[in-house]
Amino acid sequence: MNREGFFKLLEEILEEQSDSIAGDEELSQFSGWDSLGMVAFIGVADNKLGVSIAPADLVNAESVGDLLALVAAKLD
Amino acid sequence: MNSDLVPSAFLSGISAHLPEQVETNQDLDAEFPDWNMSKIGAKTGIFERRIAAESETAADLAFRAARKLFSSGICNESEVDFLIFCSQTPDHIAPATSCILQSRLGLPSTCGAVDVNVGCSGFVYSLALARGLICSGQCEKVMILTAETYSKIISKDDRSNRALFGDAAAATLVSSQCLAGSFPTYRIGLSVLGTDGTGAPHLIVESGGFRQPSSSGKKPLLFMNGPEVFSFTLKVVPQVLNQLLERAGLSLDDIDLIVPHQANAHMLNFLRESIGIAPEKFVIDLADCGNTVSSSIPLALTRHANLFLKAPPRRMILLGFGVGLSWGATLLTCEYPNAL
Repeated sequence: MNREGFFKLLEEILEEQSDSIAGDEELSQFSGWDSLGMVAFIGVADNKLGVSIAPADLVNAESVGDLLALVAAKLD
Repeated sequence: MNSDLVPSAFLSGISAHLPEQVETNQDLDAEFPDWNMSKIGAKTGIFERRIAAESETAADLAFRAARKLFSSGICNESEVDFLIFCSQTPDHIAPATSCILQSRLGLPSTCGAVDVNVGCSGFVYSLALARGLICSGQCEKVMILTAETYSKIISKDDRSNRALFGDAAAATLVSSQCLAGSFPTYRIGLSVLGTDGTGAPHLIVESGGFRQPSSSGKKPLLFMNGPEVFSFTLKVVPQVLNQLLERAGLSLDDIDLIVPHQANAHMLNFLRESIGIAPEKFVIDLADCGNTVSSSIPLALTRHANLFLKAPPRRMILLGFGVGLSWGATLLTCEYPNAL
């Protein structure tokens, strides 16, 4: 999966408009980045990307870039 | 040993009871105007839940569920020789609430009674215990009462948990004989049970016991780390399901229906995808009651009773998972009416 594909998944999870995420956003600016959003992120990562994300790592993530790095590290 | 001689345990009847007071998402919207409840409801699949009255306890709800089960005619009070009360919101620290219910329900003094403090996997655990009591020849009719009033241990300010949980009770009869009643009779098969106490802090009521007594000023309130509980669910539950299928010599295709603990639709949809089973074979039914903890599986089963009597699923698997962290899976095979 490339960066754009990841951003599209994230837009669906956060219920943001298409092509609205560019990669440099802070997660705190998304109303969808709450407990349910984290659950969705863990679920999508597991079901669609085949990677297991630790919830503790999500709590520490501050930006879209942090999430991308988390997933990329698992895919490597 | 001839399999006909091996004692069996049957799930022979279920009744449920919900408290009268309804709390809707609109009610929560009015209390928390900065929160988008319609969005939350669309995700969780929960639009209203029932809340016990201030003076109404889990035992009161269980009492009503048990009365309903007796009214169905499946058995009478004098026949119950063991009572399991599964709850995390008992009437008192001592005695066990099951003892009080033995008296209130008019069960014989020869009836054993025990409380089981297990949450979302409590129904599966209680079925396994009841099966053990019956298959060992100790008992012939075991009544399981699952009942929770989580509303009493959720802070009024805790909008997330208030949106998820509801109060309820269910009464289930497990018997040594196949009994015909208002619910199809299922032979209770193998169970796979498990525990990971390292996850205890993720779903906990820390105060109110003796580690943090109520006298310390801390109220007994529920804390849940949703992402951690979900992560555990996604990791453990598919494994447990596969273990059960392997032990039973079955594949997922042999299973007509999976009835998971009704946590919330958001989590359950991901879990269903992870398991790889069709939506019509995976029950999600909590829109008007929310997550009712140990009663969620029997409550979902009672809602399908009429459908099941016409076309009973041949094999069902019940999946419980949650507070503990604790999990369990049980195989049920239809005995009456005969599956198509």
